[in-house]
Amino acid sequence: MKFITTAILIMVTLHIANAQLTKVEIMATGLTCSMCSNAINKQLKSITHVENVDIDLNKNLFVITLNNSNNLTPKDFKEKVEKAGFFVGSMVLYLQITDNKIADNKQIDNYVFIDTKAKTVNGITKARVLNKGYVTLSEYKKLSKALSIYPTYVKNDDNLIHLKAL
Amino acid sequence: MLRMMIISFTLKPCKMKKVIVFLAIILSLQSYAQELFVMTEPASNMPTGSVGVRAMNSFMYEKDGTLNYHIMPELMWGISAKWMVHLQSFHSNRSTGGLKTEGGSVYLKYRFFSSDDLHKHFRLAAYARYSKNRADIHQDEIETMGHNTGYEAGLVATKLVNKLAISSSVSFEKALDNMPDYKFPTSQSNSATNYTLSLGKLMYPKKYTNFKQTNINLMCEFLGQRLNENGKSNLDIVPSIQFIIRSQARIDIAYRKELHSTMSRTAPNGFIVKFEYTFFNVTK
Repeated sequence: MKFITTAILIMVTLHIANAQLTKVEIMATGLTCSMCSNAINKQLKSITHVENVDIDLNKNLFVITLNNSNNLTPKDFKEKVEKAGFFVGSMVLYLQITDNKIADNKQIDNYVFIDTKAKTVNGITKARVLNKGYVTLSEYKKLSKALSIYPTYVKNDDNLIHLKAL
Repeated sequence: MLRMMIISFTLKPCKMKKVIVFLAIILSLQSYAQELFVMTEPASNMPTGSVGVRAMNSFMYEKDGTLNYHIMPELMWGISAKWMVHLQSFHSNRSTGGLKTEGGSVYLKYRFFSSDDLHKHFRLAAYARYSKNRADIHQDEIETMGHNTGYEAGLVATKLVNKLAISSSVSFEKALDNMPDYKFPTSQSNSATNYTLSLGKLMYPKKYTNFKQTNINLMCEFLGQRLNENGKSNLDIVPSIQFIIRSQARIDIAYRKELHSTMSRTAPNGFIVKFEYTFFNVTK
């Protein structure tokens, strides 16, 4: 009996998909100078498990590579950009999803896919965060109208990270 | 702001022409904007947890032709994304016997509004300064940064639009008695309204390649004061060039020139050289 219970538990566990961040791309807003970019750069590099930060200074684009043992969330990066005195205009996540399957309204950990067609991903899933604070304010206003069919998105539920697969 | 504009339009035509030409040059330069101004603070704050050290050196010409030197070392700390604090001390050789410590100040700034977009933002902040000073009171002009004991409180708005940074502030400044027993003269106005307008542009590089590139900024600032009790006023122009080294250090060279004044000022014109270095992530 114990063996069967354990076997069922293992099977159930294997079936629940989870997601881990491998890379994050952030477009920061509100800055034009390299000293400002450097402030964000230093904040991002202070995060444990960040392996490397590549920067396009002209586009204010920060590409953050993470190591395998990280348990980081998009919020960790958003907070660091804001600590530097700026905001996130766009955040693209590279996620390792255990079952490689994504679909509209599918929730994996704290991530939920919206405006996304069902598909099986070969390897890493690339998705953009659509939550308020992760897009520009003007874009959020448009998105909240266009995506009004997703109740958690309209409610601006910060515990869920709403993703659109790219 | 309006008052400053009125003052600027009452300048002699030749001076006004020079100002317009200078402004036209600044506005026509095609490059990215900057807001790390020499004479004023923008509505933006320094990064959370960073500590900056700054030394402002002023070489000002007294009316009799002698040069006086002020050095104002400053320690700055980004408490959070919204709050920052500066501690500053004032030293000068105005009195006989070489460089003497004359006072110090504490400055606090709170950014309460921010609307950011790609390569642009509009921010508002409130600030306040309290200063102590032991220099003799020798002019109508009120300056809590290095001359008067007193306080200043104001609002600053900074806008970054189409690659141009524009910052403007308005503040109330009150002078008290200086230490140890220099009473503020009752014949003078002990409060003032200050107005500033700052414009900044990045000249170099045209395109960024890395953090080590030296940035060269060109700026122009207007500083105006109106004494509340007698209506006396002044307006200065401060053109400057700024070098940002390795995205961490700053060297500013500026010249402050009086454009207009109806108040007594002992040394309004002169050079300003400012050094600054930022240490990132010193505190959490």
